[in-house]
Amino acid sequence: MSDYSFDFYYVLSGFSRLLQGLVVSLELTALAIGIGTFSGFILALATSSPIRVLSIPARLFVEIFRCTPALIQIVWFFYCFPMLANVFWSPFTMAAIALTLNLTAFNSEAYRAAIQAVPAAHRDASVALGLSKWHQAVHVVFPQALRIASPVLVSNSISLFQQSSLVAVVSVEDLMYEGKMLAVETYRPIETFTTVALIYFGLSFPISQLVNRIERRNARLLA
Amino acid sequence: MGLEFSPSVIIEYLPALLRGLRTTVLLSLLCIVIGLVLGFLVSLMRSSNNKILYVGSTVFVEFFRGTPVLIQLFWIFFCLPVILHVDLGVFVSAVIALSLYMTALCSEAFRSALLSIGAEQKDAVVALGLPRWASLLHVILPQACIRAIPNLLSNSVTLFKESALVSAVGMADLMFQGENISNATARPIEVLTTVAAIYFAVGFPLTQIVSLVERRILRRMAI
Amino acid sequence: MQPHRSPAAPFVEIRDLRKSYGRGKIPVLNGITDAMAKSDRLVIIGPSGGGKSTLLRCMMGLEDIDGGKIVLDGLNYIECQERGRTVIDRAVQRQVGMVFQHYTLFPHLTVLQNLILAPLKRNGERKPTAIARAEALLSRFGLAEKLKSYPSQLSGGQKQRVAIARALMLEPKLMLFDEVTSALDPELVAEVEAMISELANGGLPMVVVTHDMGFAKNIATKVLFCADGVVMESGDPQTFFSTPKIKRTQDFLAKILHGNKV
Repeated sequence: MSDYSFDFYYVLSGFSRLLQGLVVSLELTALAIGIGTFSGFILALATSSPIRVLSIPARLFVEIFRCTPALIQIVWFFYCFPMLANVFWSPFTMAAIALTLNLTAFNSEAYRAAIQAVPAAHRDASVALGLSKWHQAVHVVFPQALRIASPVLVSNSISLFQQSSLVAVVSVEDLMYEGKMLAVETYRPIETFTTVALIYFGLSFPISQLVNRIERRNARLLA
Repeated sequence: MGLEFSPSVIIEYLPALLRGLRTTVLLSLLCIVIGLVLGFLVSLMRSSNNKILYVGSTVFVEFFRGTPVLIQLFWIFFCLPVILHVDLGVFVSAVIALSLYMTALCSEAFRSALLSIGAEQKDAVVALGLPRWASLLHVILPQACIRAIPNLLSNSVTLFKESALVSAVGMADLMFQGENISNATARPIEVLTTVAAIYFAVGFPLTQIVSLVERRILRRMAI
Repeated sequence: MQPHRSPAAPFVEIRDLRKSYGRGKIPVLNGITDAMAKSDRLVIIGPSGGGKSTLLRCMMGLEDIDGGKIVLDGLNYIECQERGRTVIDRAVQRQVGMVFQHYTLFPHLTVLQNLILAPLKRNGERKPTAIARAEALLSRFGLAEKLKSYPSQLSGGQKQRVAIARALMLEPKLMLFDEVTSALDPELVAEVEAMISELANGGLPMVVVTHDMGFAKNIATKVLFCADGVVMESGDPQTFFSTPKIKRTQDFLAKILHGNKV
């Protein structure tokens, strides 16, 4: 270690760049969570719908996003979607779409279990997609399913925050991207990457601990 | 802009992709096995009364579960050689990073399985006068391992998916091959979709097996 | 050093047994004192939370005690010494067997493996002998064809009978049965009670906690009514059930008998 002098000064001056990257990461995460919390519920309704035209594509969607690496999803959207849809959106947008769809798929599984735990809701849910008892599903089933599924939804969101680091691979300037750039430029990988890791950890760990605490308290109250 | 879809690209480069798949599978298997063994040991540490073992193993597990796998990989690849004064190379870095991640996941699977064994089992062991070592070896640990199998299997699938990250440090796995070929042929849609399909073709049956095993084990263990 | 036993001494002696949870805040056993002879079959009845199961668990050495002493066959078995430490003589503990309400068979082992595990690992018995004894025991109670089955393949009654057989493999001097039929469907209760009756007729000293008054009347040589952590009343089954002495016992019996037992 003699020729590597720890020098956090470099990291401190690059810290503002890391924070800018963090803002991007949080924007992506917030966007995905904001949409995915609701779209996951809708997708869950679709997967349990008696209408095969709805349920089969929905199930396929869920399985594709659950069984393939998040990285290939992000890379695919980045390269293929612009060509297919004939649009040219920014890398940020592409990444946001991929992450949102990914979270939607995982959330739908959580909601599916939750909906079944809400007894009458099952009937309502399938009816909602068959006919137009839409309002019932939204105002009655959704709040209850949300409550039941919330621990899993939160841990899915924390996972998504960490998966968001993958967008650095497609040059979205998030925390990971800025961290890698900083590490390479300053020749100080240890300080930089450790700081980046600590930032991710510092945001994820407290929230997951809080969720654990709440879950245990709920289990105790119900027992 | 017309889209010409040319399946010939897929056929031409399929062998290269399958070589990448081979690397992915071998790497995954290696890290899964290492992670299972070390995970078991770490779970023992997590259950021990020794303060140092408990705190050390807890910090390890929480850190590897609370940070993105990508940062773990980058840290091992960029920082560890500096600390150890040894050039690790892509393969070794990848194995170390993924194995440590798998260890953290599996230790939690073992630990929660251990905790899920009802207190009545311990009563039965006392009532039969079984010595402590015999109850651990023949009653507690076998049940913990059997109960942990569903989680361990799903951890294995997770690891298979996370293995795609090693492409980011230049390891020639399926993802890496796919990205390179896609760039070289300028046909991202055919190539990347094929890559996604290959991951799905492996991942989907695995997740179905996990569900099947979970149901059968739950029935056998009469939980 | 164990005290020399005089021939007139009782088989099991419980002296002023005390136990509480939460550092004395929740008392469960408030000074239980009783004795039983070798030929006794003790049945304990009483309301939930009255301390019956806790008493049995203490007799098995599953719980610490906060005061008192248990003597088995003249040997000091469990004692609460100064500074509240519970001392259990493990050699004596091995002579006691217990069966629980929720079977607690080992789910990952077959019936045969469940039965021979303790004899093999605790007593160092040789495998062929243990297997032979297990087979004989299971045949005696009509479970021979379940030898290679797993607990999940058995009915509740069968599981409980296997659990009893498993305890019997260790040839205990005293058997404790903690509400062993309470978790069973009604039609499965009879086979388990029949097995226990057969053991009782064979002269096995036992303590049984049950809600089934008919069964209690059948096998008991002595009945204890346990409530609020003390023995409120005790006696032989005939007089106990027909003319209970104190009001608490009378109320309890009236409530139970108006239920569906007997």
